Amino acid sequence: MDFAAQIAMARYERIGEILGRCMERVEKPESFSDMIDKVVLDRYLGIPVFLTLMWAVFQFAFSVSAPFSDAVDVFFSACSDWAKNTITDPQLASLIGDGIFGGLGFVLVFLPPIAFVFMALAVLEDTGYLSRAAFVMDRAMTKVGLQGKSFIPMLLGFGCNVPAIMATRTIENEIDRKITIMVNPLMSCSARLPVYILFAGVFFEKYAGAVITSMYLLGILLAALMATLFRKLVFGGKPSPLLLEMPPYTVPTLRGVFTSAWVRTRVFLKKAATVLFIGAIAIWFLSTHPWQATEGGSVVENSYAAVIGHAVEPLIRPLGLDWTAGIALFAGFMAKEIVVGTLGIVYGVGEENVASAIVSHFTPASALAMMVITLIYLPCLATIGILRQELGGWKWTGFVVAYELVLAYMVAGIVFLGCKLVGVA
Amino acid sequence: MKLSEVEPGSVVVIADVHGNPEVRKKLLDMGLIKGAEVKVVRNAPLKDPMEIEVKGYNLSIRKVEAEKVLVVER
Repeated sequence: MDFAAQIAMARYERIGEILGRCMERVEKPESFSDMIDKVVLDRYLGIPVFLTLMWAVFQFAFSVSAPFSDAVDVFFSACSDWAKNTITDPQLASLIGDGIFGGLGFVLVFLPPIAFVFMALAVLEDTGYLSRAAFVMDRAMTKVGLQGKSFIPMLLGFGCNVPAIMATRTIENEIDRKITIMVNPLMSCSARLPVYILFAGVFFEKYAGAVITSMYLLGILLAALMATLFRKLVFGGKPSPLLLEMPPYTVPTLRGVFTSAWVRTRVFLKKAATVLFIGAIAIWFLSTHPWQATEGGSVVENSYAAVIGHAVEPLIRPLGLDWTAGIALFAGFMAKEIVVGTLGIVYGVGEENVASAIVSHFTPASALAMMVITLIYLPCLATIGILRQELGGWKWTGFVVAYELVLAYMVAGIVFLGCKLVGVA
Repeated sequence: MKLSEVEPGSVVVIADVHGNPEVRKKLLDMGLIKGAEVKVVRNAPLKDPMEIEVKGYNLSIRKVEAEKVLVVER
């Protein structure tokens, strides 16, 4: 017997000795926990129960929190309007109204879903279900280079990647956690949906539903593919052993849930929020300056953002996209929600009529390319902030940004050329 | 016999633990030591991992790791 085994043996021998003197063994009756597990981990019921609970978590995190996010949005829009109406110097008014209040609102709308995700996670964790969830899903997730505990963060990615990436903190093993974080942005968050709806609705009419669904499936497929590749090529090895204790079920306390949610939410406020806010100001500057040429920030075509849009045009032209798509994608870097709005501004038609305007700038093939790029190309600014925080620096964050850009370009290229080959213009 | 092959509901005794040093140490630390009684509680809905009861608590363990744990009939 070797050293490690001897230590373990000696330790448990000693434990047994102490327990023998102070503990009386009785036959253990079937506990309440065992009864719950008989249902929750049942061979047939296990997965339906799990999916139902996950649906509830998802709804709580993103639907129940939505009114709070709307309230934050309304509040900062009001602040922004107030600043623009009261400050006489237009450039300063734009800085304070659109830059600072706009930026603050942009950062703080993330607060409700983050807090709600962490409350839901705290409940799952404190009841003892979290390790059961990993137990149920582990087999499926190890197939694609992840592990049981990766499932919840991946699922939450469909809502918003920011809290989803923060939710990976329940994964102890560093490599498993890193891989889960790095592929998370491929899960199509809710901000990307308006882009799909617009383009699929205009170019694929009655097949729009199928096209939109295929974007989500493409995201899942690519996440599985990239996780497998990262596991094999970048990190090597297998997922860490899943030696999880399955604790008896307990009733969580309100205090425990709120404390845990607050501690984790504070991390977002302290670290990611600063990066985000600075980024928001930078994007405001690029899209409203030079001040004279843009006539006070209203003519986007003359802004630095448009310069960037034109600069990337040669790159995206092979995908059938022009500089207007370039600007929209650049703006989408801030938040994918504003891609559609930006197109409206660039075409000078407003968000309601953008559908009629895109027909002259896109074809069905380039619309698909645009959707694929929106799905993959860059984690939004908020996600980059959280990536830097959770991956512990710019090195891995840069890696994520780089692989997503390359992947987006490749997949969009394949889709575009594939369309051409089968005769879709 | 390997722990991975034990049917749910059976109680067995650990004879030996193999595997790479890192995994092995973890298994030993969790109480999977020679002579310990282990009850296989259930397999996960997708057959892997399995839930076992050892030293009075419940633990999940993948089949890959359970293959490294040799057990004998009680």
